[in-house]
Amino acid sequence: MQTGQEHSDRGGIGTVAEYLTFTLGTEEYGIDILKVQEIRGYDVVTHIANAPEFIKGVINLRGVIVPIVDMRIKFKVGEPTYHEFTVVIIMNVLGRIIGMVVDGVSDVVALNPEQIKPAPEMGTALDTGYITGLGTLNDQMLILVDIEKLMSSEEMQVMEQAN
Amino acid sequence: MTQSGQDNKSIDLNQFNQVFFEECAEHLAEMEQILVSLDDAGPDDEQLNAIFRAAHSIKGGAGIFGFQDMTVVTHVLESLLDRIRNREIPFSPAMVDLFLEAGDVISMQLAGHRDGADVSQEAIDRIRGKLQQVIDSGAVATAPEAGDSIAAIAEELPLQPESAASSPDCHCFELEFRPDPDIFKRGTRLESLFAELEELGELTVAAELPANLDFSELDPESCFCCWRMTLVTASSEADIREIFEFVAEEDQLKVREIWESSAANNPVSAPEAPAVAVVDAVTPGETFGQAASGAADPSAGRRAYDKNELAPGAYGRRGSEAESSIRVGVTKVDQLINQVGELVITQLMLAQTAAALDPVLHENLHRSLLQLERNTRDLQQSVMSIRLVPISIVFSRFPRLVRELASKLGKQVELKTIGDTTELDKGLIEKISDPLTHLVRNCLDHALETPAARIAAGKEPGGTITLRASQTGGRIVIDVIDDGAGLNREKILAKAAERGIPSSDSMSDEEVWQLIFAPGFSTAEAVTDISGRGVGMDVVLRNVQSMSGKVAIVSQPGQGTRVTISLPLTLAILDGLSVAVGDEKFIVPLNSIIESLQPNSASLKTVNGKSVVLVRGDYIPIIPLYELFNLPARVTDPEKGILVLIDVDGEKAAVLVDALLDEHQVVIKSIETNYRKVDGTAGATILGDGRVALILDVTSLLQMRNRN
Repeated sequence: MQTGQEHSDRGGIGTVAEYLTFTLGTEEYGIDILKVQEIRGYDVVTHIANAPEFIKGVINLRGVIVPIVDMRIKFKVGEPTYHEFTVVIIMNVLGRIIGMVVDGVSDVVALNPEQIKPAPEMGTALDTGYITGLGTLNDQMLILVDIEKLMSSEEMQVMEQAN
Repeated sequence: MTQSGQDNKSIDLNQFNQVFFEECAEHLAEMEQILVSLDDAGPDDEQLNAIFRAAHSIKGGAGIFGFQDMTVVTHVLESLLDRIRNREIPFSPAMVDLFLEAGDVISMQLAGHRDGADVSQEAIDRIRGKLQQVIDSGAVATAPEAGDSIAAIAEELPLQPESAASSPDCHCFELEFRPDPDIFKRGTRLESLFAELEELGELTVAAELPANLDFSELDPESCFCCWRMTLVTASSEADIREIFEFVAEEDQLKVREIWESSAANNPVSAPEAPAVAVVDAVTPGETFGQAASGAADPSAGRRAYDKNELAPGAYGRRGSEAESSIRVGVTKVDQLINQVGELVITQLMLAQTAAALDPVLHENLHRSLLQLERNTRDLQQSVMSIRLVPISIVFSRFPRLVRELASKLGKQVELKTIGDTTELDKGLIEKISDPLTHLVRNCLDHALETPAARIAAGKEPGGTITLRASQTGGRIVIDVIDDGAGLNREKILAKAAERGIPSSDSMSDEEVWQLIFAPGFSTAEAVTDISGRGVGMDVVLRNVQSMSGKVAIVSQPGQGTRVTISLPLTLAILDGLSVAVGDEKFIVPLNSIIESLQPNSASLKTVNGKSVVLVRGDYIPIIPLYELFNLPARVTDPEKGILVLIDVDGEKAAVLVDALLDEHQVVIKSIETNYRKVDGTAGATILGDGRVALILDVTSLLQMRNRN
């Protein structure tokens, strides 16, 4: 939060974007904070028949049925364990509400465009097509994810494809 | 600020326009409905009044919202209707067609304003001419009292004062009324105004034209006259002003009391008063000023001339019925339904939590919760009923369609509607009208024979189309029945073969009838017995299926055809039975359940490796839910589990579950809002413990089973 404050004070120079950072296994990821609706603990989900394994099921979020995807299973990073510290990031993506299970939420950081480097080919669990860049903050590397592109992709099977 | 203020204003006006369009469409529909329901005996007073009221409302609305062109036709129509109403012109059956035509022209103008559709000025002029012709011919026949010109009124209305002092307290008032030039355009008729004044006492009316009026400027639709009246009455000035309340602005009417006679006074003096008044009337208006300033309170904020229409019975208005409804956006209603759904869930959660508490120690809590449950149920039911509207809204458009098509095709057709009051969801009403129209058209076009052919077949010359709506269980069933020739099996099979639709001669009748729903089956030159006008039955089927409905056909050669559409009662709520499979709970729609049973080994068989159960002589396929949904089930042996027997439109299946849990009324939630369609489910709901349960779609389960 501190860093966020710092950067917003400097606002106006370049386009400072804020990211919510979370961990999947040993890797640190960041998504646009504006896409995040809320963060909650992992609760019992209702299994969906014949859905891919990484789609854990659906939950009742105050009367709205929300699907839950587990990125750890999808990208085979970390151990898909569920305990009281398991976190679900509820996101608002393309008008839909989707929950994403991650190992932990770390921080909200603000990054200047110059702090973001283009992603190299390969090297991460995610297809580079879904990575907007690599952010550097205090010697720590952040993988910045284009969550809209990822969630609407065919391989996620979360949304009905147009065809 | 000014800018934004103006913006707001224009937005508001648009909203009002929308309301007017809606109302206007409703009035037109009502008018049409009455017109086509008229029999040869002609309309009764109630019907005439209702037609008149509709025309009048359209005209009034159009005037207010500035659609002057729409007032033109309605004005003539209204004049004619008024004459008929007053028995000045006799009603003739030919007028019905004329009125229908006028209604069409008004619809056209309405569409022009609303959607920017083309408006044919020629049609407007034509219908105007026709209506005017009827008025004129009628007026000549029944002259002089039907005269509408100012001169005629002026001549006619000065009434001979008789004995004025029949009442004990008598006043003589002198009135000067200087109306707006556009008073006629607002739909005000001075004759009725005078008639109303006359009811108060004896009235003398004189019209006075302004001295400086140029003859070339005279417009028959504008009122240039100043009306001077003398009224001998027992009523007070306030009563008189009340009559004018909705016609005249305060400064347009001046009232002056000339004399007053009490009961003791000589009544003979009264008749003289008008004479005085007439003399007085030519004196300048200033004398009236004093009286006017002390006039009765102006009724602010109301379009005054509307007042009469608000009175029960005025213009045939049926009491308070018309006023007792409000227009609310569907989204608002849906929001309300959703919120009540949440409330029901919360109430269920509370009830479940409380069930764990000692009933003796927490007696009060339990009693209150019971009360809460009742109240939420009532609330839910009331809220759900908001969305329900009678199907007569759809049915009412068919009499005209049938009437016109029948006469065009030279067939005699009677349309019967049964179950008009059956209610269904508003969303469904909107979607059902197109498929129904198509079906009715098909009946007329192809199913029903010409009178000659019918007589040759030994039937009555006139055919019958019956529209029947009813509610059976949780579904609404709409039948379109005709007593025509029936479907022709051979022709359909031949056509199907020609079109490359898979078919065989050994198919059952039902299967053959289903062929006509195949896409591409029906084209313009397809089998005449069943084809539409290039729009196929597949469209009907698709529309109905999009509402989770089913279409079935029963047909007997020579006897007729019955097309049955069955629809869910509502799209938002469902009575369901919760069942358990492994750790998961599912909801089975209660209305599709026939029974639940535990089979014995003797009744279990396999067909093609798929198990079936024998129930009262029927082999019913078993749907093992755990297998279809890949669930770790506790029970895989049908003998140990429970079979829930379901029937969806004749298709039966037995769903194998671990256990039956409870009966719920559940709010249907879409999974697709945030996810995608899940095979075998018709949505999801939230159970009392806050968890999500999927609602099973039995038809889709059967398909899944057959695929596997």
